[in-house]
Amino acid sequence: MIKIENIKFYYPKGKTILNDVSLNFDSGNIYGLFGRNGEGKSTLMKIIAGLLFPKGGSCQVFGEHISRKHIRCLQEIFLIPEDFELAALPVSKFEEVNSVFYPQFSKEQFYELIKEFHLSPNENIATLSFGQKKKVLIAFGIATNTKLLLMDEPTNGLDIPSKSQFRKIIARIADQGKCIVIATHQVRDLHSLINHLMILDHSKVVFDKSLFEVSEHLWFGKPLEKDKYDIIYAEPSLGGKGVLPRLDKDETDVDLELLFNAVLNEPDSINQVLKKRYHDTSI
Amino acid sequence: MTHQFNYKRIYHFIRRDLTIRQSGMRTALIVVSAIAFVFFLINLREDYHITVGEFVNVFGLFYIPLGVLFTFSICKESHDPKANHLYFVLPVSVYERMAAIWFTTTILYTIVFSVLSFIVGQLAIVAGGIVFGTDFHVLPMLSGEYLGFAMFYCIVQPVFLVGALAFKKNRIGKTLLVFVLVFFGVIIYNMILFTMLNYRYDVHLGDAFASEAFGLAQNDFSVIGILFFVGILGPLMLFVGYCKMLEKEV
Repeated sequence: MIKIENIKFYYPKGKTILNDVSLNFDSGNIYGLFGRNGEGKSTLMKIIAGLLFPKGGSCQVFGEHISRKHIRCLQEIFLIPEDFELAALPVSKFEEVNSVFYPQFSKEQFYELIKEFHLSPNENIATLSFGQKKKVLIAFGIATNTKLLLMDEPTNGLDIPSKSQFRKIIARIADQGKCIVIATHQVRDLHSLINHLMILDHSKVVFDKSLFEVSEHLWFGKPLEKDKYDIIYAEPSLGGKGVLPRLDKDETDVDLELLFNAVLNEPDSINQVLKKRYHDTSI
Repeated sequence: MTHQFNYKRIYHFIRRDLTIRQSGMRTALIVVSAIAFVFFLINLREDYHITVGEFVNVFGLFYIPLGVLFTFSICKESHDPKANHLYFVLPVSVYERMAAIWFTTTILYTIVFSVLSFIVGQLAIVAGGIVFGTDFHVLPMLSGEYLGFAMFYCIVQPVFLVGALAFKKNRIGKTLLVFVLVFFGVIIYNMILFTMLNYRYDVHLGDAFASEAFGLAQNDFSVIGILFFVGILGPLMLFVGYCKMLEKEV
């Protein structure tokens, strides 16, 4: 669905944001794009949406170079940016003037989601808080039913009940064959939602694995004394939890925050463990 | 395959642009109508009649400045860092965007503003009849002067459209500055060319003969000048605007 090859990007007179980044995104997955602040997550999202042009390499979406902005491509992409402003219109008017551009748009779905977010179609967007505006945009983005949904820090500005509501909604639409990419630094918000993790650090992709592979090869929890030499990464602040090669231990839930910190601190060790195939024929 | 140019999408894009700006546009038109109404009444007090020239004077006073402001307002969304993501992610091709912006800011604007001016003028005549006892007459709108104004705006507007797309800050000021610089550039170029061609004949700038020559040159080349102005400048600027829009990033 998305094929990114050796992308380079820098802002004029600025440092390199993305350097030789190559990634593939397939349909039916929810990708978590993680990274520290300023590591190029938003930039990558904008490149995928055709809002920025890479300085080198190529970005193909549905087999087309996205910078050419073919209508066929644009009709299948929706981006929910981190920071945005919506026109001062009633919610229903906003839907009316923007939905006509998306052939798969579902009005029923949009108004159901608006209701679920405790908003009214007659409310003027200008009177809504940032979090409520974000809910309007999330509802709109989902209702476009585009094959590719890009969300940049979607949970920023949402209160705690809305975050769990957001997770439920995304989980509901996940099995519709869409490709959803969520960029965030709030790792905990995506717990049990994503099935593939990508981490950007120092302008490069330092991690690109499915959570299935992660849970197959890594073990998360409080290590026993006998395991102390196997520890790849441990964090005292998280109750002594650590990341270890799974070997023959029982499968554990992937602790995204711990994995994220482990990858940022020990990228080579983590990737090396994931390259080995403990539960397969070869070791 | 989905076409890159679709009239329905252009219509929806125009509708979107106008809906978003409806409140601002309404205010601007009410203010301009009120001022124009007063101006028409002042004209009526002199000879109890609004002549072609008087109508065009009042019309032209607001038509071009308001059109320029409208063009900059329509293009504002593309520069707003908080709004341009949603603007550019919309599945509308660059051709369609340019066609929609041009149609809205020239054709649609001219029609709406002309009709509005006519209605306001006519209302002023009715009001003048009640207050000053003026005879009722139909406003002479479709004159050569009016069409000249409308044509001039249609030709010059793409220049402002390019400025509105190209500059991020102080867009009107920068566009006017470029306009003035180009104007002076052409004058200096003409002077240099004149000096180069005529110094052997002892004809210098400032001579009465020189000014006569300038006048003659103007007459001789006026057809080509008009052709350039009408046939080339507008489309050329629209093409530059298209290129600017094509390379636009958020």
